[in-house]
This record gives sequence, C-alpha cells and structure tokens, in this order.
Amino acid sequence: MNHEIALSVNGRAEQVTVPASMTLLELLRERLHLTGTKEACGIGECGACTVLLDGKPVTSCLVLAVEADGHEVRTIEGEATDGGLSALQQAFIDAGAVQCGFCTPGMILSARALLERTPNPSDEQIVEAIAGNLCRCTGYESILRAIRLAADRHGREAGEERRLPEKDDRAAVHSNGGDAGAG
Amino acid sequence: MTERPCTRTGVTPVPDDLRYVGKPVARDDGLDKVTGAARYTHDLALPGMLHVALVTSPHASANIAGIDTARAAARPGVHAVLTGDGLPYRPGLYLQDKRILAREVVRYQGEPVVAVAADTLDAARDACKLIAVEYEPLDPVLDPRDALRAGASLVHPDLHTYEHMEGVFFPQPHTNIAHHQKIRKGDFDAAFDAADVTLIGDYDNPPVQHVPMETHAVIVQTLPGDRAEIWTSSQSPYTVRHLLSVCFGVPHANLRVRVPYVGGGFGGKAGLHLEPLGYVISKATGGRPVKLVATREQEFNTLPSRQALHSTVEIGTDRNGTIVALKATYIWDAGAYADYGVNIGRAAAYAGAGPYVVPNCWIDSYVVYTNKVFGTAYRGFGHLEVLWGIERAIDRMARKLGMDPVEFRRINLLREGETTITGEPFTAGHGSPVACLDAAAKAVDWGTPPEQPTEPHKVRGKGIAMLHKAPAMPTYTSCAAVIKLDEDGAADVLISGVDYGQGTYTVLRQIAAEELKLEIDRVHVTWECDTAFSPYDWQTVASRFAYMGGNAVIKAAADCLHQIREVASRALGIPREEIACEDGSAFAKAEPNRRIPYAQLALGYTFENGNSIGGPIIGHGRTIATGLTHLDPETGQGLPAQYWTYGAHAVEIEVDTQTGEMEILDIATAIDAGKVLNPKLCVGQVVGGVVQGLGSALWEEFRFDQHGRLLNPAFVDYKIPTAKDIPRNMQQILLEFPQPDGPYGARGIAEHPMISVPGAIGNALFDALGIEFDTLPLNAERILLAVRERSGGG
Amino acid sequence: MLGEFDYVRPRSVDEACGYLAESDDARVLAGGTDLLVDIRNGLRAPRLLIDIKPIDALDRLDADGRELKIGAAVPLNRIAEHHAVRLRLPALADAALSIGTYQIRNRATLAGNLCNGSPAADTAPVLLTLGAVLAVAGPDGQRAVPVSDLFTGVKQISLGPAEIVTAVCIPVPGKGTRTAFLKQQRIRGHDLAIVNAAGTLAPGKGALRVAVGSCAPTPLLLEPVDANGGSVGAIADRIIERAEEATCPISDVRASAAYRSAVLRVLLRRLVERLLDGGGGS
Repeated sequence: MNHEIALSVNGRAEQVTVPASMTLLELLRERLHLTGTKEACGIGECGACTVLLDGKPVTSCLVLAVEADGHEVRTIEGEATDGGLSALQQAFIDAGAVQCGFCTPGMILSARALLERTPNPSDEQIVEAIAGNLCRCTGYESILRAIRLAADRHGREAGEERRLPEKDDRAAVHSNGGDAGAG
Repeated sequence: MTERPCTRTGVTPVPDDLRYVGKPVARDDGLDKVTGAARYTHDLALPGMLHVALVTSPHASANIAGIDTARAAARPGVHAVLTGDGLPYRPGLYLQDKRILAREVVRYQGEPVVAVAADTLDAARDACKLIAVEYEPLDPVLDPRDALRAGASLVHPDLHTYEHMEGVFFPQPHTNIAHHQKIRKGDFDAAFDAADVTLIGDYDNPPVQHVPMETHAVIVQTLPGDRAEIWTSSQSPYTVRHLLSVCFGVPHANLRVRVPYVGGGFGGKAGLHLEPLGYVISKATGGRPVKLVATREQEFNTLPSRQALHSTVEIGTDRNGTIVALKATYIWDAGAYADYGVNIGRAAAYAGAGPYVVPNCWIDSYVVYTNKVFGTAYRGFGHLEVLWGIERAIDRMARKLGMDPVEFRRINLLREGETTITGEPFTAGHGSPVACLDAAAKAVDWGTPPEQPTEPHKVRGKGIAMLHKAPAMPTYTSCAAVIKLDEDGAADVLISGVDYGQGTYTVLRQIAAEELKLEIDRVHVTWECDTAFSPYDWQTVASRFAYMGGNAVIKAAADCLHQIREVASRALGIPREEIACEDGSAFAKAEPNRRIPYAQLALGYTFENGNSIGGPIIGHGRTIATGLTHLDPETGQGLPAQYWTYGAHAVEIEVDTQTGEMEILDIATAIDAGKVLNPKLCVGQVVGGVVQGLGSALWEEFRFDQHGRLLNPAFVDYKIPTAKDIPRNMQQILLEFPQPDGPYGARGIAEHPMISVPGAIGNALFDALGIEFDTLPLNAERILLAVRERSGGG
Repeated sequence: MLGEFDYVRPRSVDEACGYLAESDDARVLAGGTDLLVDIRNGLRAPRLLIDIKPIDALDRLDADGRELKIGAAVPLNRIAEHHAVRLRLPALADAALSIGTYQIRNRATLAGNLCNGSPAADTAPVLLTLGAVLAVAGPDGQRAVPVSDLFTGVKQISLGPAEIVTAVCIPVPGKGTRTAFLKQQRIRGHDLAIVNAAGTLAPGKGALRVAVGSCAPTPLLLEPVDANGGSVGAIADRIIERAEEATCPISDVRASAAYRSAVLRVLLRRLVERLLDGGGGS
C-alpha cells in the first residue's frame, strides 16, 4: 500500500514514501509543509488546491500523490524567485486583487499557466482560465485586471524569454454550440 | 479591462492635504498572501496535535436513544470520544439554547452528536464509522409558519429555562418563538384604513450560506490550571474568550485566543462555533492540542447559515404618494438554535421599514425555531432579506400610484427634520439617501428606457432599490487600540478587530501614519490578534471596524504624540505647546532645525551627559458606542444606531424569455461612505459585496427534502458566482457626506454593497417582463416558469 | 487519505486488463475526477486503482481522413484544443469544454466521461449522433461497442468488470456535415447539465441526427429526421415531438421536470435552427 515516489516540487527533487490513497494536496501540505496550497472543498469544484502538474493547472485534491511520481509540480511557493515577487504576484498586489487571500495561491497558478501558454490572452481567455477558481471576496474584477496587468507588463519587458504559442495551442474558449464543420 | 473610475462627491469638501487617508494605499498583507506565506488556522500545526472528526445527525428531529462508542474508543490512535452526555454546558451569545454536542435530542440534520480525537484525521474518521447512534426519529417542523401554529411541536420545550440577555431579547415560553421584536409607532390601523392607496404583499428569502473559502477551523489546547490556548478562524477573538469563560466558568485571563489570517468570514465566523467543542475535546485528551476543521459539507450542513425570511408588507399612502402607514410581519427561520438570529430579528425590526419616513409603523419580527441548520450573522444582518420585501413593495406601490419608482422613493426618503420608525431624528450627519438614489439612477440613465435587443425573445429592464443599515451592536460596544513605537521610531498598532479580507488593517495604518506624522512604510498593524496582547475589540461585524477602530487609532496616535511632545519638550527645553511633529520627528515650531527624530524618543531620551528621561512610548485609545439605548419592548422606540449608512443599487438586466436566463448588463451601486478612507479597498468591498449579493439574488438557496435533510451541501449543487457570472459592467459611486463622529468623516460600508442587489433586480424584472417576483432566488427556472404561466403555458 | 486502496501502473493494456481480471474490486483510473470524488464521498470503495495514463497507446489522438481515434487517457483539454477536433468536430470540442473547469479538463478524459455512465454526460450526445464506437479490451480480446450500446441505466454501462475502453473512435463525418452542441446550466460557470443536446446534419440537408441528455436515465439518440423539405420550424417540431416521446425528465435538486421539459424544447429548436440556418438561438 505504500509507494516510494520521486517528484520535483518547485524545482526541488523530493523522495517520499506515501500510501496509495494520499492525495497530492495532502502530500504538499502535510508531508512537505507547503501550506500555500489550500483545501476548500475536496472535490475539485473550487480551485483553491490548484497546482501546476507538468505546467498544467490541476486540482491537487483529485490527484493522487502516486500519480505525481516522476512529474514536476509547481506550487505558489515556487512562484517568487530569488529576485523577488513575480510580475504576476506584483500585479495581484497592485490591482487590489487580494482580499482574504485564501483563493489567491490557486488563482495565481491558474493565471501563471495561462500566461505561459498564452502570453497575450484575450479578456475571454483570462475569464476562462480562472473560472475554475472560486472567490467569495473580490467579485473577480480586480483579479481579471491583475492578470491583464501582468500580461501587459510582461509584453512591455524587453529581452525576457517568452514561450511562443504553438500553432494549435489556443486556450480553450467555451462557446455554447458550434457549427460549420466544414468537413 | 479598464480601471473603473470611482466618483466622489460631497457637500463638505474634505481637506486635500491628507497624505495617506483617502489614498489607494496597497495592503501590506498582500505579500504574505501572494506568496503562500500567510498562515490560516487551516495551516497551523502544533507538536502532538490530534485531529477531530464528527458524527452528525442524519435526522432533522429525533431523540437519541443510545450511543455506542466502545469500538471507536478502542480503535488504535483514538484518544477521546465525546458525546453530549458528559457536557452539561450551554454556551450562547444572546440566548443559551445550544449544547456543545447534541444531548438527548437532535434538532437538525447535520447537528454534531459525537466527536472523536485521534492521531490522524483518517483514524478519527475511521473511528466515527465504528460509532452506532440509535435514534427515535420525530416529525420535524420545517417551516417557521408551521412552527408558529398552535399545537406545533416545540423545538425547545425548555425554552423558558434558558439564560438570555434580559431586557433585550424575549423568548416566548412554550412556543417556538426565540424572540419577538415590535415597532409600534403612531396608529397603523387608523392610518392604513384612512389611506388612499394600499398594497399588501408576501415576499420570501431562502436560507443561504456564507461560503467563506476557508471553512471554520479551530485548534485548542487546554493547559493545567484551567487555562487554554485557542487558535481560531474567527471574526471575534474577545467574544470567543468571553463566552468560553462564561460557559466553562474560568477567568478570562486563563483563556488566550489567537486569530491568524482568516480566509473570509461574512458574519459566519462571528461568535462562538467550534471553539467550545475543541475545548472539551482537548480536556478529554488530557490537554493535547486538538484541531477541528470543517469539511465543505460540514460548512454547509453543520455550521450555520443565513436565516430564511418570510415577510408580509402592507403599505398605505395618500393619493400624492406620501407613505402614511407601513406594517411588516417578519417571520425568521432561525433553524434549530437562535445564536445571532435573535439579534437579526431585532435589527430587522428597527430597520424594517427601509430608509423612509413612516409616521405610522407596526412591525412584528419573530425569530422562530425549526428543525433545520441554524442561522447566524451574515453580511447585511437581516437587511438584505428585509429590503427584498420592502423594496419590492415600494416599487409596486409606486406603480400602483402611477408614479416613477425613483420619484416615489425620493418624496418618501428620510431627510433632515424627520424621524425614523424608532424615533431617532434624522440629521445632516446621517448622510444623504436622496443623493444615493439620484446617483444610482443617473448611472443607469434611469429616465431612458433600455434599448431592447434585436432578438425578439430577449427583453431588457431597469430597476432600482434603496438600502440602509446601521451597525447592530450592543449599546456598550467598544474598541481599543494600542500604538507602540519601535526602537527605530516606527509604529506598531495593536488591535483585535480582525482583517479577514476587507482591508481594515491597511486603513488603520493609513490613519495611524497620518496622525503620527510618520511615513506609512514605518507603520505596521500587528497581523495576528492575540487576546494576551491585543486590546479589546467587541467583534469585527456590523461594518463597525473602520469606524470604531479608526477612532480608537486616532486617539491612540494622539496619546503617542502627547508623550512624544512631552519628552521632546523636556529634551529641547521648551514648552510642550511649542512642539510640533512632522515626518517622524518632533521639532520646535519656532526653530524647525531643532528636531528630534522619534527614534531618539521612542524608548526615552538620553542627554549627552547620560541622563535619561521618558521611557517607551505606548499610546492608547479607546472608543465606546455613545448615546445608544435599548429599544422599548412594546414600542421599539429608542436609539439603536451609532450611525446609518445609506445607498442605492440601480440595475439594467436582460432576460432570455425562452430559457429564463438573466444577464446583468450593468449594476450601479451608490453608497454614502462619509469619507472614502481608501478608494481601492472601498471599491473592492463594493464589487465583492455586489457579486455576493448577486449570488443571493440569482442562484443561492438551501434545498431540503421533506424530512428536513439538506440536499445541496456542496459546490456541485450550491452554486456561487464564478468569474463567468459577474455582470457585464459594474459601477461604484462613493459619496462623501461626512459622518460627524466618524474617523475623517467615514462610516462603515462593508455589508451595504450586497443589501439591495436582489431588490433592484426584482424590480428590473417587472420592468422587463411585467411579472412580479416575490421569492428568491430569481433563477432561470423561476423566471421561465413564470413567463410561461403568464402566457398560458405551451 | 481518500480511502483504502492500492495503486498500480500497468505498462500495457493487456497488463491493465490482467489486473482488472485478477481483482474482484479494481477500477480504472484515468482522470479520476469522477472516481476519486466518489471514493471520497463513500459511493465507491475499490481496493485497487489501475492507472492507465502512462500507457503510451492510450495517450494518442490520431486523425486520418476517415476516423478520429481518441485514446482513453487523453484529457479533455487536449481533445478540445486539437486541430482535427476543432476543424471536423467542433461540437465535440464544445461539449468537452463545457465539462467542469480548466483544471478538471486537464485530467478528465472522454472515455471517463462516458464510462461514468451519467445521463448528463456532456460528450455523449454528440458521440451518439456521430455513431462513435468504443474500442474495448478485455479478457476475451478486443471488441467494438457503439456508444449507443454503452449506457444501460443511471450510472450503469454495458461493459464487463474486466473490460477497459482503450479509445473512442469517431467516424469523421462527410464534408459539409454540421455539428452543434448546446447545454443548459444554472450558472455560466462550471455546472452539470440541466439538459444537453447535440445534433449532426448530414451534407446536403440530409439526415438530421439529434441526441439529448439529462432527461432520461441515459443519454438518448432520437430517430433521425429528414431535413430536406420542410421549414426549419417544422423540422424542429418533429425533433421536439420525438424527444418528448422518448424522454421523461425528472425533478431533482437541480431543476424541476417542468423546467427541463420547457428548456429541452427551446434547446432543440435552437439546435435545429443553428444547424439548418447557421444562426438563431442564443
């Protein structure tokens, strides 16, 4: 029932022995003491437990620790670098996008993943990216502004490595009903 | 996405030479929160800590015939198993009706019956599965209107034996009435009979939940000598301390309550919730720290909700549209326990006619027990629920009179020279409800009908609603602040109001920096409140913290400056009156070059020869509610309100008449803030409150089956707004008609932004569809079925 | 911990089937977004979870001219973003994108959405109209199960206990085929379907195939209607008639039967209008 797993968490190699039924969320919070990732529902509905698994946002309450064996995990603790807050973190502060702060780590990571796959997102793409992160305090407007601010600032910075969008890698935008399958 | 402008107008120009107050200073807790460093009670752990799981009742009403805990107690890793039997306590804020664990009976589905503490949460949960509770189910009473009928089963047959706050709350023995508040002003019957136009209507609100993102959580460690340490996600550390002290009979000083970062409260974390349970469990384990964290399902089903309300409103006017009489009957669904419910029932009465002049007023506000999860304080404290009915009734009355809803409100709004329904005189210092009405109306271009969409099945409408609220707080509510200077002349503010997201600590920093003449980067508010160190504050509720905390900080700063000038005067050898402070230094007014930075005074001043004077500079300020009186139990007359905050919402909506879906195209919120202490934070409160109000208006409700079991205790079926659900456009208009005794003229605005969102939308729906909606939420199903019924089905 | 179970990572489909056959209580773990929730909530208590995600063969999305073959381990986001899906089967992309949140769609799979067996499965209607077939591996070898044979009741599917879906195979519709998907929710944010519906219109206004979900114990493919000859309104009426004969919406915590019925009619009319007119509806 116990499994030895090796994974990278915020760039750091971790080797732990875990029961099969331990979630990645439990591993992060209780074993690795990275309490920035929060539990707020346990069923993948609220996004507070969002982490990046191989760069993709997932709700860690619905990922088993053993499933993360051999993979890379990024949590909010890995967002800031030696140089200080990331542009995204700073934008959240500047835009007033933080109130109680409990949804903030999940929000930032969803936004981080968005900006990595779509450095210049449309308003709709920003909404779609954080629609799975519930917030009860802000009413979302300031958070959307923060992400826009971070995207705009990043666009203005020179010489920073940017991940170019792949040809088909448009962020999914949900539209209700599609037509014209021009077969 | 463009920055929304924040428009401010005011009668008395506010001085513009303020350096910090009134500016969009960024919150300093942002750093902890964006990095994940902020620790909430959820995140704390102590050595040797045990974890607690609960067995809750599956029945809404039942006798407990027996509980077998032997197998659970024997399970490895289990340290304690508690039932209500060994717990003869009944903690309670206003009315002591609730056991820590159910004892002999269960009164709601979800009520905690057994608690298990074990080495791990899994062990505790496994042990819970080994517990057998034998119930004798009884027929629950689920609707408060049924609970009021003669012969209804009594949720609390022993109500007459319960301790309660005498003279303020009046539980009615041998009934399901936990409290009955009355307003009797003038002669309603005569005035209504004589009225030219009358209107009667019923309005309904379901129960909803606060949905803080951080669920309730507590860590308690009892210590030798009847002491305890408590960490809790709470809005009121001193209330926790006080109620535990009363409940367990230990001195206040023995109980230390700490509140770290709190992930949202919205009223649900005021008062006492999981703390007494943590206390008794820790004691039962011999003093181990125990941690109890509500699951999201428990947050919905076990922790309290917002009371449902059934209202009947009767209005009478003369033919010119002046209100002559208003009667309201408010039947509050308290659920199984009265908690804050009785105070909500009280506040609903004294605020229960809306912000209008009502010369003849009759209000009965009943707080009624039922066998459902109980209600507690929720942002708005009954005012959203009450104003749903009042603002719908006002709109209907306007139309019955053939008047524009804005005009009807304008002629009836409170203004200088008038009195409220409790006999409180309305003054210029109350602010301007009329200005709020006009600002909201203007913001949605009220006079112009909405441009109708091209699609024939869509229709638009506009609606407006007023709001008002005063802090609902005891007449002795107080707050204290302490400011101490650091070695380097920076200042630390100690206060035990809680910043659980609203940003008040930042506002207090601004005020302290302004008053102390210090750079704001050198002013800190100690984040974690700790009853061992932070001075008393009543509770962080009622939109009172910026107001009372602000005033306390102003006084504490004045006290610091007094001490600074005292020492400086001796240091410089000149009279104290000739000392001024600026930029973190004290200096001689006549010779500004003679200055001493605070750093040289903060711990006392040392002369060149070594003599020292003064000492550590610690300023203290306090404030208490002034001029409040109890309400007369028969007439409700009295002065319950420290101040009132008025506002209005105006909204433009679009309805798809084929599916019932509604989109909010624009919602404008005008609030008379008195003084906007921090526009960024103020706008943040307004936007957040409006979206939370939207949840109440459109989607949120508890659904119960016929046995009283909650059907939607999870996000799957309890829907709160996501980023996709916010209005297309939101406007915030912050007015500044100063509150004379508020800090810089400010009054509280925290709850107000959600209060009349439902009312405005309900009114807009009539404008769009010609259909009266009287029941919340205004979801697509309700709208569509009403549209189809109106058109004869099909 | 979510429960008491062990976990294995088979390297091949055969090995996965082997685990399933050996254990009397094992379940396939793909995205886990239904299964792990059920385990947490005590609705399921398997003793072994078999993680199929690392099996290369199941992680493929292949499109040739005739068939789109979506491996059982491919997450919904990848499906919705794939150029061939967006080009040839936009309704499938829409259906996939309507499920859960962006985070959930990085884990949840198409096969998983189907095998959960919910009558509200958002991907079922469009797959029914396209005649999709599941490639299934089991102790007796491989077999093909049309999606129309998959659902047998609420949360019940026709697969045997030791069978695994390895891929969803969708015949690429002929050139000029139009597809559409509509879903009614309580909020615009993530939500289960109150009702959902998909339609496929063969080229030259031939057969119109419509399937509906969340208004019967299983998703239902309606009898096709000839879209030639007849106004859009008349064709919509016929579809609605078929739907009303075949469905029996219930009242539950999400919606009443009356609302479901009313909204189903609206959705079907909009679906037909969208397919035949290229416009109309919401």
